[in-house]
Amino acid sequence: MARQTTGQITRLGTLKNLLQRFAFLSLIAITFALMLIGKADTVLVERARIAITDAVVPILRVLSQPANAIAESIANFRELAAIREQNSALRDANEQLLQWQAIAQKLESENRSLKSLLALVPEPTAAFVSARVVGDTGGTFAQSILVTAGASDGVGKGDVVTTGEGLVGRVLQAGVHSSRVLLITDINSRIPVIVGEGANRAILVGDNGLRPRLLYVGAKTSIAPGDKVTTSGDAEAFPPGIPVGRVARVQDGVIEIEPFVSRDKLQHVRLVNYGLAGILNATGAEARK
Amino acid sequence: MHQTTLWQKADVVARRCVPMTMTVFFLLFSMVPMHLPGVPSMAPMYTLMAVYFWSVYRADSFGYGAAFAIGVLEDLLIGTPLGSTALTLLLCQWVVFNQQKFFSNRPFPEVWLAFSVVAIGAGLLRWVCTGLIGSGSFPPIGDAVGAIILTIVTYPIIGWLMARAQMKLMVPT
Repeated sequence: MARQTTGQITRLGTLKNLLQRFAFLSLIAITFALMLIGKADTVLVERARIAITDAVVPILRVLSQPANAIAESIANFRELAAIREQNSALRDANEQLLQWQAIAQKLESENRSLKSLLALVPEPTAAFVSARVVGDTGGTFAQSILVTAGASDGVGKGDVVTTGEGLVGRVLQAGVHSSRVLLITDINSRIPVIVGEGANRAILVGDNGLRPRLLYVGAKTSIAPGDKVTTSGDAEAFPPGIPVGRVARVQDGVIEIEPFVSRDKLQHVRLVNYGLAGILNATGAEARK
Repeated sequence: MHQTTLWQKADVVARRCVPMTMTVFFLLFSMVPMHLPGVPSMAPMYTLMAVYFWSVYRADSFGYGAAFAIGVLEDLLIGTPLGSTALTLLLCQWVVFNQQKFFSNRPFPEVWLAFSVVAIGAGLLRWVCTGLIGSGSFPPIGDAVGAIILTIVTYPIIGWLMARAQMKLMVPT
């Protein structure tokens, strides 16, 4: 009797093992199928990503509250400690800015009269939305953030994302109430830029690290650490002149850029629609993610 | 004759869902911006820790289907190439299930050491997947190594939290 029961248990164990092995192999096959779908049908995968992101962002909104509150209080405390020095620096800056204001007003009136002489067509005005950063999906394997504004707020794919410091990235997927922003440090990010005073053109390429690199730099260009990098406006993906960062290191032909926007301080961003058609509407490399 | 009420059944189901719920929580937690300088480029692989832990201690409540679902969810949420994390987590679980004899009643340092080996394999696999399936170029290997080290170092904390949850919320096997 006991031997019969033991036999039954062994048979059950073998059956369970077989089922488990079958499940494992089937799931591995499905995983490879998903990889192929991800490469072939980007629209379907993008829809799935948008749906999941929209569902998760309300939870992230709640989860991110404590971390945001702590970061804000630390920032407040630091500001309080440096308030005297900051005050005198601001006074100096204010004096300088007042001088600049006078110059700007003069130039503005001059500009206006010159524009009327040339009958210049004005650039379209940009519409923007501000949003809170609730998700940072970043790591070695992808670099994007999730923000609390989506299509219902007027956000669209390709919108340029900035802070007061400079360029953050651009909208990769716009859900109903949330959006995914591809950061300039992401391995899929390619941005046409201008470097330094000599106006050298190059492409800023992310590699999922903290410092993106410059590629396709002309042979006779002279780029040195400290040079400012701004968007060039080529390919109409970004408007010209948005500050991106500074050249941090030039070594063995590798030019690393330190972005102006420090990722760990990102709490709010501005999503701007410049009305640019750009390369984003084409099904290019950027649409792959 | 003893009869199980609806509440008792719901209680059993809820307790069986603890591993999956905690893993999803860790996935969402990993996405919360922490505002720590330098950390975003080398975040630890929380889901790997969770999948490893539950596969070692509660294989009855966390099978291949669970690891696959978590992997696909992570790929969709994080933006990594679809299938890459799912493949990594499934292989991690396969290794653990195949070494069940090794893991039974082992002291924590040995389980941690085994996790280190799994984490190195998983980190490198994800790195290769990101390069091959994604954009065609590879992220810096230094950052991948950093993420692996961070994952190994963080494991005791996450493992302790999951062990507490297992003792408090789940029925002993």
